[in-house]
This record gives sequence, structure tokens and C-alpha cells, in this order.
Amino acid sequence: MQKTGVEAVLRGLERAGVSVATYLPDSLLKELYPALDAAPDIRTIPVTNEGEGAAIAGGVFLSGKRAVLVMENSGLRAATEHLARLGLGSGIPVVMIMSYRGEMGENNWWAIPHGITMEPLLGALRIPYRVVRREDEIEQAIVDAFEWSYTAYYHSAVVLGGEVVR
Amino acid sequence: MSMSRFACMQALGARLSDELVILSLGGAVDEWFNAAPHMREGSLFQQQLGCVSAEAFGLSVGLPHRRIVSLDTDGGLLFNLGILATLGNEQPQNLFVVVWDNEQYQSIGGPRTHTASGRVDLAGIARAAGVDNAYTVDTLEAFDEHCAAGLAATVPYIVVAKTDGVLEPGIKRKHSDGREDTYTFVRHVERTEGISIMGPSEHN
Repeated sequence: MQKTGVEAVLRGLERAGVSVATYLPDSLLKELYPALDAAPDIRTIPVTNEGEGAAIAGGVFLSGKRAVLVMENSGLRAATEHLARLGLGSGIPVVMIMSYRGEMGENNWWAIPHGITMEPLLGALRIPYRVVRREDEIEQAIVDAFEWSYTAYYHSAVVLGGEVVR
Repeated sequence: MSMSRFACMQALGARLSDELVILSLGGAVDEWFNAAPHMREGSLFQQQLGCVSAEAFGLSVGLPHRRIVSLDTDGGLLFNLGILATLGNEQPQNLFVVVWDNEQYQSIGGPRTHTASGRVDLAGIARAAGVDNAYTVDTLEAFDEHCAAGLAATVPYIVVAKTDGVLEPGIKRKHSDGREDTYTFVRHVERTEGISIMGPSEHN
């Protein structure tokens, strides 16, 4: 991920009023995590799995602060149980930023499941999402995701793919 | 020896006023609803295996000046033991975790959880994960003492309460779903914190 892309994410999070980021780091967004750690207005919380990260982010929502869950798209599978209960069961939203592992152009065999399962899973959970493949669309996509989730009280996702992460 | 969860809840509830509580699923929901009626609006009743202590931690991060209480369960904590490592690393100063350990999945009729073997020690796992103040109790007196200490602690504090698995008879069932519970809890947080969380969102 280019420095300009990382900066666009940080601008989006700042405009959205995010003060907490939970994450389980991955390779496509690897430059983003230390930048989040270094961001003066964001507290980062590394987690042991993405479901835990979703639940922590949901707890932050209940406090009136805003949190984001950052992860590889494989994390969506780990978080599905938690997201279903939080969102569909209790109306507690989690906004996610995830890398698009396994999309067309992928050359790692182990990443193919991530690409095949991500969009159907988002659909099964009825989570609106935007796949962003241009850096100049990152910032607004993040702002829009928060705007929507804080109106719907349901999850949304920004998926970073294409040249943004390669 | 083990003790009544309901009696423990009454003891804990007597110590609470402006704290915020997040609690797990099963019989503990209806018992807490009855054992601490003054805490109903300040308690978020969840039906979420593996979410409760993580949610409570998130709430404690967002409201660092407020005491947060997580009422977790053996089944719920076993579902996401990783939260113990996160608490060990993050060291929240305002989070007290109670784990109701009745060694069974009570809400579905009582199949055993892993703690029933006697080999799995949740407090020991917590200590090894970096939560130094993690204890197992099996008497009401000891539980109450740890509640006093845990509610005053400035480090994460966990008490695993070995309870008897007897659902308190004759209690009233909570009559609301998860969405209503969230609104009730959020309105309580808004009122007591003087903030807006789920505010009006109409702009046109």
C-alpha cells in the first residue's frame, strides 16, 4: 500500500470522527497498521481474531465514540458469528475496512478462498460495501460508510483492492 | 462446593449504582433482570457467545471514567479466550469481569462445558494471559469480597464464580428483544453521560 493510500485512509477516519481502531494485521495493508498506531487521535487495539475486534468496536459504539475494524477480508469469516449477533440481533453497527485478498489478479493459492467467500458473505449478512480500487476514492468511501452505519445502525464495509493494495 | 448465581447477583447488584453492565446469554439474563432491578437500564442484555467481555472492554475504552462490569459465562469466555490476552496487554483500568461458571450450557438444558472436567482453570488461563488479578471463588462471602476489590481496581480484575447451575425458580422473564435492549441501554448512557449516541439522523 502506498503512503498516499495510507494517508487517504487516515483522512477518512479523521473526517468520520474515529478515535479507536481494532485490527488484526495483514500483508496487503501492512503499511496502514503502524500509521494507525502512530496517529495521535486514534487508539489502536490489536486483537487475537476479527470477531473479537468486531465485538470491541461494538462496545466502543455503545460509548458514543467511533471505532473501525481493520483486517484482511479473510477476517470476515472469523467475524461472521459476532457480526450477525451484534448487527442483526442487537442493532449494534461495526464499520470495517478490509483488504481484498483473492480478487482477480491474485497469485497466492491460499488467498483464493478469501476472494471467493468475501462478497457472498457480505451479501448473506446484508452488509453494504464499496470496493475501492482508486486512492482518490478511499477517503470519501470511509466517510460514507460511517454516515450510512450511523443512520442504519448496521454494519458497512470499505474493501480496498486493485492498485490501492498492490 | 458451589453457590447460587442468583445470590451472587444480588450481592453484586447491591454494590452497583452508576456502573454499566454488559451480560451474556442464557439463564443469567433473566436472573440479573430480577436480582438487580435498579440496574436494568444500565445493563445491556446480550445473547452473544464470545462477545460479552470484548464488548465490555470496548465500552470501557470509550468511557474510561466509568466503571464497566462484564457478566460473562464459562461457555461464553471459552468461545473467545483471546480476549483475555487482549485484556492482559491493554490493561483497562475500569473493567471488572465476572465469569459465571456453572460448568454447563444451561440455556440448552445443561450439557457440560470444558470447565466441568475440573482440569480447565479459567482464572489460571487469565493470569497466564496477563490479567494478574484473576481468581476463582466458590463461596458467597469470597465472591462479595472480590466484587468490592474488583469494582475499585485500576487494573483488569476477573472473578470466576463457581455456581451451582440451579436456575432461580419463579423469576420473571425479561420481555424485550436485543434491539429494544440496545436502545434502552444507549438512552441510559446518553442520559447519564450527557451525550448523543443514536441521535436523530434526518437531514432533509
